[in-house]
Amino acid sequence: MTPAIEIDRLSVSFPSRSGPDIVALDNISFKVETGQVFGFLGPNGAGKTTTLHVLLGFLNASGGAARIFGCDVRASIARERIGFLPEHPDAYRFLTGWESLLVAGRLFRLPHPVLADRIETILALIGLPLDIARRSIATYSRGQRQRICLAQALINEPDLLILDEPTGGLDPLGRREVRTLIQNLKAAGKTVFFSSHELSEVELVCDHVALLARGRIVAQGAIRDLIPPDERLEQYFLRMVQS
Amino acid sequence: MIPILTLARVVWLELLRRKDFYVLLCLLTALCAGLLSLDIFGLGGIVAFIKDLGLLAIWILVWILTLNLSVRQLPREESQGTIFPLLAKPISRLELIIGKWLGCWSAAGFATFCFYVLLAGVAALQGGAFTPLVLAQGFILHLAAVAILAALGILLSTRLNSDAAATLAYLISGACTLVIPQIPGVLTTLVGPRRDLLLALYFATPHLELFDLRRRLVHDWGPLPTQPFLIILIYGVLITFILLALAWLAYRRKRFVRGDIL
Repeated sequence: MTPAIEIDRLSVSFPSRSGPDIVALDNISFKVETGQVFGFLGPNGAGKTTTLHVLLGFLNASGGAARIFGCDVRASIARERIGFLPEHPDAYRFLTGWESLLVAGRLFRLPHPVLADRIETILALIGLPLDIARRSIATYSRGQRQRICLAQALINEPDLLILDEPTGGLDPLGRREVRTLIQNLKAAGKTVFFSSHELSEVELVCDHVALLARGRIVAQGAIRDLIPPDERLEQYFLRMVQS
Repeated sequence: MIPILTLARVVWLELLRRKDFYVLLCLLTALCAGLLSLDIFGLGGIVAFIKDLGLLAIWILVWILTLNLSVRQLPREESQGTIFPLLAKPISRLELIIGKWLGCWSAAGFATFCFYVLLAGVAALQGGAFTPLVLAQGFILHLAAVAILAALGILLSTRLNSDAAATLAYLISGACTLVIPQIPGVLTTLVGPRRDLLLALYFATPHLELFDLRRRLVHDWGPLPTQPFLIILIYGVLITFILLALAWLAYRRKRFVRGDIL
């Protein structure tokens, strides 16, 4: 079966005005198989967001290749099966939550009758009441904005959900809801790829992880195979990153 | 086409929900109300005065509205981070540019229509209605100028933040309207490279003054012949196309940096 994500010897470097190029990603390779919940971990500045930006076609790689369901990430067809939640999600504040979902759905060319039903389903899934969805996003709390952005990422019923720090800004209840949502998506056969600093969250929902440090993959594989029985993910993470 | 229309609709909703349009409409209404109460010593020519001042106000208000609306579209997407989920959807950067421009042009065009209707009503109340054909020509050419201004705003905002893009857009469009048309008058006194440079500048910049039929409308000079009207319209389409093509070239490989990118 074609992997959901395939990163092959990917390198990204940025020109620097005061010296050699800054190497953000150095020859990294990994695969995310369909149906996996894959945690992409690393300290600040490790290159997680850069990897996501290459995957989504925002950035061009200096070398190597990135494919989503076998398609080059720069082709717009590769993005038809993706849902994406950025690290600092925000939505147009002059729209209502409902309208912002309508806009997101129309950008996927979904017809109006399908969209209305789907929006109601997704709002129920992310726990945003209909009366709040009818209000302007300008009046939303940070957690509610995070939820509406998550709903936008789900509007096309994506086969692959890419989440950048999905629980940042959420209260414990919200975090649990996101965890449950990820588990439900996994049960439905969807692939979830997310970067996070919240190692406890990762431990609870992920079956596979890749650890990134200074632009290189330092460990990858199934959590149960990677982590020794007497160690927690956090200890393992610190040991690997510091070494 | 659906993504382009959807993006344009978002610009419309922004115009209708923010206060810019209503503030400008109120300003024009107040000006028109003031003009309605005018009767300068019972002298004739008051209608021409109302038309002249009203049309000047419309040009200035539409100029402000179009540039303010267009220069903030792309920079706001980047500063709020909404650009990332937007480009993660199956839309190209060309569709994004065209969608934003279409939204700005059509929304500012709608505002222009409202302003013309208001002024035409005021002029009619004073007993001096516009000639319909000339008014239609003036409105259509005004829409062509709005298309150029919106494309200029979008182009500048592909690489600059909204404040810098607005300043530059006002300077460029102001120069195109007020300074560049004066160049032929200066050319007769110049020779050599300075003359060539000014001549190149004259032909390289958009001539917004061509789209201004205010004097024809104020003095009831009759409609513009069809051929020059169409040539000006085609010129407007061409300039808009060039500006949008440049905007796409500037934006297609742009790297967005926000937050923790590395």
